[in-house]
Amino acid sequence: MVFRSRNALLLAAFFLLAATTACEFKSPGQPKLGDDSVPRSRWGTSPVFTPARASFGEAFRQFIGSRPDPVVQPFDFSHQIHLTKGAVCTDCHTAVEQGPRASLPSVNTCMICHSQIATDRPLIQQMTAMSEKGLDFQWRRVYDYAPESHVRFEHAPHIRAKVECSTCHGNQAEQTVARRMVNMDMGFCVNCHKSKQASNDCLTCHY
Amino acid sequence: MDRRHFIKLTAISGTTAALAACGNPENQVIRFIPEEELVPGLSTWKPSVCPLCNAGCGVIARVMEGDAEVFRNGQAGVIRMGLVKKLEGNPEDPISQGKLCARGQAAVQITYHPDRLDKPRKRSGERGSGQYVDISWDEAIKELTGQLDALVAANDQESLAFLTRPRRGRRLELIAQLLQRYGAPAPVTFELFSDEVLRRANAMSFGAHQLPTFDLENSRYVLVFGADFLGTWNSTVAHSAAYGRMRQGRPGGRAKFVHVDARLSQTGANADEFVAIRPGTEGVLALGIARAVAAHRGGKPDAGSADYTPQEVEQRTGVPATKVEQLAREFAGNAPAVAIIGGAPLAHTNGLFNAFAVNTLNRVAGSVNQPGGVSFIPQGTQTPTRPLSEIVAGTPPKVLLIDDVNPVYGSPGASKIADALKRIPFIVSFGSFIDETSALADLILPDHSFLESWVQASPESGSPKGVPTKFGPVMRPLYDTRPTPDVLLDVSRKLAKPLAGLPTSFEEFVNAEVVRRADSMPIDDPGPWSETPQFDGDAAQYPYHLIPHASQALYDGSLAHLPWLQELPDPMTSGMWCSWVEINEKKARELGIAQGDLIEVTSTQGSLRAPAFLSPGIAPDAIAIPVGQGHTNFTRYATNRGVNPIAILAPTIIPETGTLAWAATRVKIARVGGPDESLILFGGATRERPDWTHGRGDQH
Repeated sequence: MVFRSRNALLLAAFFLLAATTACEFKSPGQPKLGDDSVPRSRWGTSPVFTPARASFGEAFRQFIGSRPDPVVQPFDFSHQIHLTKGAVCTDCHTAVEQGPRASLPSVNTCMICHSQIATDRPLIQQMTAMSEKGLDFQWRRVYDYAPESHVRFEHAPHIRAKVECSTCHGNQAEQTVARRMVNMDMGFCVNCHKSKQASNDCLTCHY
Repeated sequence: MDRRHFIKLTAISGTTAALAACGNPENQVIRFIPEEELVPGLSTWKPSVCPLCNAGCGVIARVMEGDAEVFRNGQAGVIRMGLVKKLEGNPEDPISQGKLCARGQAAVQITYHPDRLDKPRKRSGERGSGQYVDISWDEAIKELTGQLDALVAANDQESLAFLTRPRRGRRLELIAQLLQRYGAPAPVTFELFSDEVLRRANAMSFGAHQLPTFDLENSRYVLVFGADFLGTWNSTVAHSAAYGRMRQGRPGGRAKFVHVDARLSQTGANADEFVAIRPGTEGVLALGIARAVAAHRGGKPDAGSADYTPQEVEQRTGVPATKVEQLAREFAGNAPAVAIIGGAPLAHTNGLFNAFAVNTLNRVAGSVNQPGGVSFIPQGTQTPTRPLSEIVAGTPPKVLLIDDVNPVYGSPGASKIADALKRIPFIVSFGSFIDETSALADLILPDHSFLESWVQASPESGSPKGVPTKFGPVMRPLYDTRPTPDVLLDVSRKLAKPLAGLPTSFEEFVNAEVVRRADSMPIDDPGPWSETPQFDGDAAQYPYHLIPHASQALYDGSLAHLPWLQELPDPMTSGMWCSWVEINEKKARELGIAQGDLIEVTSTQGSLRAPAFLSPGIAPDAIAIPVGQGHTNFTRYATNRGVNPIAILAPTIIPETGTLAWAATRVKIARVGGPDESLILFGGATRERPDWTHGRGDQH
């Protein structure tokens, strides 16, 4: 018997747990350690505890539903300023009417206006410098579903059905960087589908 | 310190070390601005051509937005870009007809391979040591132009040689033009499973120096000599599609398919009837059938087949006379019938005779240029090339450029290709991977993957409607690589005396109008040839024929670096990630060899050890080893895995074509140990059991 003392065993187990929670193991096919740019972590609550994650820590965080709010973004973008000045959602989230994802704009999109507008602001100058170096933002995802929920959400059909962006994303004109304003659980989806007489068949969303 | 404290301390220090070693580093990965605007989540399908064999199947690539680790301006980072996620056959393409083989499906892994060369390198250590330093493209091109200028200064342009694969369409044409303008001799080509013998025979029989196209769809009887035409030989995707229609596409008109071989390949296993034959005597059987067909038709027997009576054929080939008569009756009575030869029968010293004999059979049966028979697609210009033996045997060139070909792996050890290459003072390699050949290079200038470059193919067979195809890149390059044809053009402009009259880019060259001229390949006089195959190794001392065969997954070994294909079970043995020696199960029992036992295979040239696979699908006097494994230096997936049967082959050359007679080696085998777990099988054993006794004559 190696562990004669029960305390030593517990201590070792605790430290091992602490270490794995903090540690991101590198495994083949997974993005590199600390590579936050790749949307790897899906910050949804998982109904099942599964180790099928990049790390034990991630599995644990997902299981208990711990997700940071607001998501720390690489740049202090303000939705409020842009929306009050008359920009609309589709100006930047250009793919929302065409595909499953609304798309997160690249610096190129920003520079369409900001090569002319507000060029004296420090943040804009910071962004222009990035653009000149060919560097882009590493936007972090705010909304997503846990992979094992098998939800396939598509924006385009919702836009075609005239669902307002704010129905799911709240009033972004009140926000700087985007925050989760609406609790998008299954009840939220099902209620809206009911009221709009959209299909509530499981396979409409889960496949 | 007592034991308890020691354990506690170990636990604590261990976890502390683990904590210190990981966590989130401060420095974040660089993200570049996307170079293209894509709708995330939507896919587009873009056309391209599969480069893995000479079939030239048209493919479509599914391109979707994704994050990729790339090189931009000498910096590594992440970019959002259109990435190829999947390859499928192009429904518009007359060759692939919307289908694609397993190898083509795996071609997408070339682009994302973890061991793909991502920037130019220069050798820093000993040759073959694998020590390289990164250099910039400017430096690399300067280095190459310096070497070429030195040859010009010494008035020694003849000492530049270019080694590539045959049949590369416009790419090869451009290389040939460059060499000609520089003053160097024609490009040298190498291909292990070369079909040059068949091309030569077709030139002699039909005046077409090319591979034949079969109208299987309309055939009523197909007699195949050795050709694995559904797996690895010629245009397999086109063959498979036509084969499906031949067997099931005509209600009531299901054609019969007979396979003649010394080993039951996947294609042979599909046949209605399998005829076992003594290796190398396929031509005699073909002429025997041709003679009987002519007799059935009531005509005079063909001049060449006057002597091939069924009894003589039985005595020479081991196929019973009654079987010869039955095959002839069926062949004559089921027009249109077609005979096909390929694979091992062409790789004997009498390969040209075998091919010519099958051509004669087709001609006697009236199957040439007829529906349901054999025909030839009109070809464009054929670029003249030289065989590898010219630079190995002759004066070694001073500068050798190698474009994605691996003769060191694909040649018998006795050919001493590696030694010959080591004598060349300066070698440049353009391939995307380090392999046995490019490991000898002084300078490595990695090419784009085919998905990142302009591609072009001029299929020589597969469909009567076959047309040359050309397509642009389907995705942006990931790394700091450059397309080889453009690098060569760049070099040609930067020489001290720039070469004139060349296009500015490969894109321009591919899109330029092709000037077609009639194929004027001279038809050789067949001359006196031997009908009897010669084998290396005395039959008493080396009692078994060694049949190396193209692997369904790894082809000629050039695809062993793709893990999907390593993982693909062989259709006959279900072997994967390994090599095996296929041996007749009854013979093995006699020798006390069990499944998985380690056996040593020895030829006059050397020996190798691999596990035994007991199979009913191989002649008792033959063993078969798939080609593809046994690489000594070819990425993390292929290196030091399995054995390479080519290494122990005798360097016997087919005299008429100068190509390797890879089926002309005899070997002996000995059990050297029990199972060593190197035999990895996916599933059960072969269930089909051909009768080897009837065809073996008095040998066994």
